[in-house]
Amino acid sequence: MTRNTIAAGLIGILAGTASAETIGVSMALFDDNFLTVLRNGMIAHAQGLEGVDLQVEDAQNDVGRQLNQIENFIAAGVDAIIVNPVDTSATQAMTDAAAAAGVPLVFVNRMPINLESLPDNQAFVGSNERDSGTLQGTEVCRLLREQGTDPARVILIMGELSNEAAITRSQMIRDTVAREDCAFMEIVEEQTGNWNRQQGADLMTNWLGAGVEFDAVVSNNDEMAIGAIQSLKAAGISMDDVIVAGIDATQDALAAMQAGDLDVTVFQDAAGQGAGAVDTALALARGEEVAREVWIPFELVTPENIDGYLTRN
Amino acid sequence: MADMAINPGAAAPRGRRAWPTELNALIGLVAIALVFEALAWAIRGQTFLGNTAILRIMILQVAVVGIIAIGVTQVIITGGIDLSSGSLVGMVGIIAMSFAQAGTRNGADFTGAVFWEQGWVDLPVAVPIAVGLVLGLIAGVVNGALVAYAKIPPFIATLGMMVTARGVAKWWTAGEAVSNPTPSFAALGQGMMPVLIFVALAVLFQALLSFTLYGTRTYAIGSNRDAARMSGINVERHLVLVYALAGSLAAVAGLIAVSRQLTAQAGLGVMYELDAIAMAVIGGVSLVGGRGSIIGTALGMLIFGIIISGFTFLRVDAYYQEMIKGGIIVGAVALDVWRQRRRALRG
Repeated sequence: MTRNTIAAGLIGILAGTASAETIGVSMALFDDNFLTVLRNGMIAHAQGLEGVDLQVEDAQNDVGRQLNQIENFIAAGVDAIIVNPVDTSATQAMTDAAAAAGVPLVFVNRMPINLESLPDNQAFVGSNERDSGTLQGTEVCRLLREQGTDPARVILIMGELSNEAAITRSQMIRDTVAREDCAFMEIVEEQTGNWNRQQGADLMTNWLGAGVEFDAVVSNNDEMAIGAIQSLKAAGISMDDVIVAGIDATQDALAAMQAGDLDVTVFQDAAGQGAGAVDTALALARGEEVAREVWIPFELVTPENIDGYLTRN
Repeated sequence: MADMAINPGAAAPRGRRAWPTELNALIGLVAIALVFEALAWAIRGQTFLGNTAILRIMILQVAVVGIIAIGVTQVIITGGIDLSSGSLVGMVGIIAMSFAQAGTRNGADFTGAVFWEQGWVDLPVAVPIAVGLVLGLIAGVVNGALVAYAKIPPFIATLGMMVTARGVAKWWTAGEAVSNPTPSFAALGQGMMPVLIFVALAVLFQALLSFTLYGTRTYAIGSNRDAARMSGINVERHLVLVYALAGSLAAVAGLIAVSRQLTAQAGLGVMYELDAIAMAVIGGVSLVGGRGSIIGTALGMLIFGIIISGFTFLRVDAYYQEMIKGGIIVGAVALDVWRQRRRALRG
């Protein structure tokens, strides 16, 4: 009896998923906060559409596993595939597999290395990292100019140096400082905190110990910015005297902003990228023309507009 | 009786009580295949096993871990364990790929090659293969020496190698991926090559285990180490050999994996060792030692392949897939233990 109920339930789960259009999704990994928001955004968007079904798989940060999942999707006859690549240098093999089978493929969030040579039925949906750094740098520049600080000394805390996002975000800050209207800014220290809160805190403690003087701290992500804030507070420095900027608009960062510690952060629309990927995949599956790059904009978050972002990530 | 203890695998006793464990795995494989085929018709109204594209990926996706499992099976038969194979895949993959890079990319000089300054690009395919195999061999010999001569428990010795090799993989390029292999290196893992290599190695090692002194000694050490030693087997030297072979097989898996993916990254192969152990266990290889075969492990491997492809075909969510996979691993062993106990009670 129980066995029958379980079997019936299992078939119920399975049967409930059969529908008109199926999209296979291979995520780089499930246990990552940002990618989870992206994944759930995708699922929520698909549920709102009539007759669209997502089959979401976890590549567990393994390129080989991801490649297998794509081949399994093709064999199972899905209408389109969405891939959040584990490693952007491995995207050529994925493009080849999908192209050989004629199945549309959409890369989401991480820019594929073969972006320029993607076939017509493949696309990339993501946010342009150049925008995040530029938005952050420009806002810090505006705040410093309002304060009338001249020259303004800036500390730059960078993410993992092998990482595209860290390199681009940092370069955009350097470009901002080089701009004519922000030329009063000067980067006095540059170090990597590997995206890590503790390392951000340790860097700041070291700088304070070395007597480095500065007016603003610009960090490639919120975690390192929060680490820096913790060290600044531990050293008894008032958070009104220094501008701190991060990127990501994580829940912790928004709380720090509400507490008056963090001044600037940048929101990357994970759910928007997920929804955009689903829409792009459907359009490709239906044979519609799609731009090769679909950009989901970054958005600046400050104490003035923070209320609109509290529940979005 | 003494004969049996020394040589149980090569000369399994015939009769009612000699129910080979491989048969369990085969029955399990057929049962699972039929269940998926039935569900495929019931839910999607089409065949699952009759779909050649599915059959192809079903085997292809488990071939790399299957190659590891060939070595792990032999280690487990000696009563040991090898946790280092997944990390060896990562280490061998990224270092070998550095010796396999092409000098041009999209028609331009590929200055991002690891050994660009040394000019070591466009090397013959034998170079990365040799580098990889030697690395795997060395790691395996170290594992074996730690277990056999330093008397460190295999779990700890290979755990040390697992952490160390992963560290080497990350250190090699400071975490950056290595890609753009030469066409001859890329050919190693394309199409069904991984499956062909797996089959060749599986046949070779099954033959070694069944028909040679190597196999007899391997089973003897796993069944009763003291008896094996008293019968004149150099247990220490043989253990080093078995672990060295396991390391080399992990290296083969690493070479094929990066060749198939056209890129190598430091995180490659995480958890492969546990998948390989699970394949062996499902295939009836006893963790106590002395019992099991490559055939059993290959059947366990196929069960893994069917499950992965089957769930995708039936559109079962990823969460359920892992839960059911875990259940099957435990279930297979529970069934085996139950059968053995029943046999012992009857006997």
